[in-house]
Amino acid sequence: MWLHSINPSVKLLTILMTIIVLALFLDPVLYFVFWIGLMIITFFLSAISWKTWALLTAPFLFMAIGYVWTAMLFPNEELLKGEHMLFEWGWLILTEESLMRSAGLGMRVIVFSALSLLFVLTTKPVLFMLSLMQQLKLPTRLAYGIMAGYQFLPLIKDEFQIMQRAQQIRGVGRPQTLKERVSHWKSFVIPLLASAIRKAERTAVAMESRGFTGEPRSHWYREIPLQKRDAVFVAMIGVLFIVSFTVSSILQ
Amino acid sequence: MTAKWRLSEIIVLSVLAVVFAVVYLAFFQVGNIMVGIMGPIGYEFIFGIWFIVSIIAAYILRKPGAAFLSETIAGIIEVLIGNAVGPMLIISAMIQGAGAEAVFAASRYKRWGLWVLMFAGMGSAVTSFIWGYFISGYGALDPAYVTLMFVIRLASGAILAGLLGKWLSDGLYQTGVLNSYAIARDKKKASYGRAS
Repeated sequence: MWLHSINPSVKLLTILMTIIVLALFLDPVLYFVFWIGLMIITFFLSAISWKTWALLTAPFLFMAIGYVWTAMLFPNEELLKGEHMLFEWGWLILTEESLMRSAGLGMRVIVFSALSLLFVLTTKPVLFMLSLMQQLKLPTRLAYGIMAGYQFLPLIKDEFQIMQRAQQIRGVGRPQTLKERVSHWKSFVIPLLASAIRKAERTAVAMESRGFTGEPRSHWYREIPLQKRDAVFVAMIGVLFIVSFTVSSILQ
Repeated sequence: MTAKWRLSEIIVLSVLAVVFAVVYLAFFQVGNIMVGIMGPIGYEFIFGIWFIVSIIAAYILRKPGAAFLSETIAGIIEVLIGNAVGPMLIISAMIQGAGAEAVFAASRYKRWGLWVLMFAGMGSAVTSFIWGYFISGYGALDPAYVTLMFVIRLASGAILAGLLGKWLSDGLYQTGVLNSYAIARDKKKASYGRAS
């Protein structure tokens, strides 16, 4: 699928730039139009299942609501002076502009999470790391170190389960007080970290004994190319931003 | 930055980042619920936990760049695992790591007492708050409320990153796995001449 084949580094930088540019505005209309466009791009040009997408977005919806009501209850009162009063009840003051700002803060959370999901759900971890090395010149020692560490994830999870069961068999009860909870937590974290560090050392020895030096390279077993479609993707996001900006300025 | 590092140090940095990336993501779920209930201030109480790998990595390896790199790698790993905060985590991780790194740099990478570690946690709190002010638009909120958020974040950084980080690293040191790293060298040096 199209979005899945965009160069990961290009995708990463485009999305980061977009988020930073969007953060300069606090405009729910702009955000909303941009979000609609993003939805179209996401679902027409990728193989993301909408169920996964919805499941991952749900917590952010919750978070956005938290932002909206906080901004309504605790607005920056300096800004409220001279604005159009909408609603006043005791110390709770709501103006048209503060309502827009609150909606903007909430909508911002939603747009940022949609942008992130566009990246996360269409990028394979290994290709991402290879692209970081090839396009963004991440040092190879660091990149392969990160990949090696990432490979330990399932092992660490298994170890955690083994420890849990071992504790159960030996009759370690559920922690009740806060103090017990902390020491219970420590009884997992320390052994997990200790074994992770031992694994790291073994891996480093193994890599070096097989001749890994971490010198900069010019040739790769698996090249991650830069293609025309990468430029098209950047242009697409750029156009979408200009359209959203224009729609928002016409409407207001 | 890593030219003088041993490969084992780089991989230790990565595995620390992997373990804490998982911890970070778990706390992210907790944080989301708290933000839904309490608003943005919900994050502040647990914010310090997100700086802890900087403190632990720097305290163990005692090298320039350890705090910054470990946090950055944790951010990359969080993205690799796949979550909806996504790529922004790498930027915020770099900013958090830079805050702790600045404090360690100010101590010239020579002092590793509890106070320095707590200040490093607060350093991350400061940089991450400045970034959050911009990216989350705190300007629209009541300045008193924002100040309260900042104070809670500072305390959280000092306690959950600085204090907890030192406590965990010292516990880890006692297991003996850190014997070939700078933390052991310094601790042994400190205990010379002392009757044991």
